Amino acid sequence: MTVTPGGGAVPAPTQGSGNLYDVLELVLDRGLVIDAFVRVSLVGIELAKVDARVVVASVDTYLRFAEACNRLDLESGRKAPAQLPDVMERVTEGGAKGKSKGALSGAVEAFTDSLQKGRRDEIESGERPRRGKEERREREREPVERGAERRSSKEREEREEREE
Amino acid sequence: MSLYVYAITKASHPLRLDDLDGVGESHSELHVVRGDSLCAVVSEAPEDLSVARRDLEAHHAVQERLWSDGVSLPLGFGFVAQDEDAVRAVLEQGAEQYAQRLAELADRVEFNVKGVQDEDTLLRQIVEESDRIRELNEATREGRGSPEQRLELGQLVAAEVQSRQDALAAQIVAALRPLVYAESLSPPSEQYFVNASFLVDRGKSEEFTDSCGELTEQLPEGVELRLQGPLPPYSFA
Repeated sequence: MTVTPGGGAVPAPTQGSGNLYDVLELVLDRGLVIDAFVRVSLVGIELAKVDARVVVASVDTYLRFAEACNRLDLESGRKAPAQLPDVMERVTEGGAKGKSKGALSGAVEAFTDSLQKGRRDEIESGERPRRGKEERREREREPVERGAERRSSKEREEREEREE
Repeated sequence: MSLYVYAITKASHPLRLDDLDGVGESHSELHVVRGDSLCAVVSEAPEDLSVARRDLEAHHAVQERLWSDGVSLPLGFGFVAQDEDAVRAVLEQGAEQYAQRLAELADRVEFNVKGVQDEDTLLRQIVEESDRIRELNEATREGRGSPEQRLELGQLVAAEVQSRQDALAAQIVAALRPLVYAESLSPPSEQYFVNASFLVDRGKSEEFTDSCGELTEQLPEGVELRLQGPLPPYSFA
């Protein structure tokens, strides 16, 4: 099953992890709220929504922007030729980070990633060990762990990696 | 037995649910709880509901089916009622309000527009266009400069980022507004500088999509608009 937005006269937008996340974000975040019903896994929902949190003006944000500006390659298209160490740095950065867009998109990708892994596992259901690992992860994310403070998906991923 | 609740529809909705699976590992069967004038689509609440792809997609697939066959009010993900009586009580108590919403949503669809901007491209524009920022950037590169300079640089850049993105968001919403019946704007996040849902008359869907395409062409380099839809009216239920 794929999430194809709508179905009708309008051509569907291109598919991709970004698009999948874009739709599922609505499923999580919107929709009718009925107070008389219990909302289960609420903490999990909060966690997933952290990825789209509102921008906060803070010293951390300022320093992150300063650092991001410092890292910019301003030489391209300008008069001064890039020097060798700069070129090396750029190549390394490009290789390591690709289209990195900052910590938060990282978290979104981690979330999308876990969704995609879910699908792969369904397809490759013969691959038991992998599936078992995923299921354990799923359980670990259930309320016991989530009862604690809100952690970003990224931190959680890192922690899980250490534990494994 | 507790019930996972998907959506509310009118009693006259065709409710073609046979080939759809409910949420949970066991893919429990969907069924209908009928009130006087309204229905609720439910399944047995699973023990293992999780905020992961499997269940989110199952929830979404039900909404898409209901919406393509008629009018429905999609519930948010994860609502569970104690039993059928609790569902019927909600249908009864909210009958007037829900009927009104359903009438308003008939023949309309939701489109969601998200804007993402490549950060490096934006920052490069900002640095190139402001003397003070460029000066501070040069002064603080490679670990040089004082913490105060670094902070000032960050503050100036953050303010520029925000004002440019706010202006872009306003431009996008203003361009689409004439085509829509209603709008629902989420506050900008680090991921999306604009995240807006629009309720659009079905007949105007194509025009709306075309306008988004035209709008994308007018936007500066590094800005991407992601259009999703037509969707069930998640943001207008």
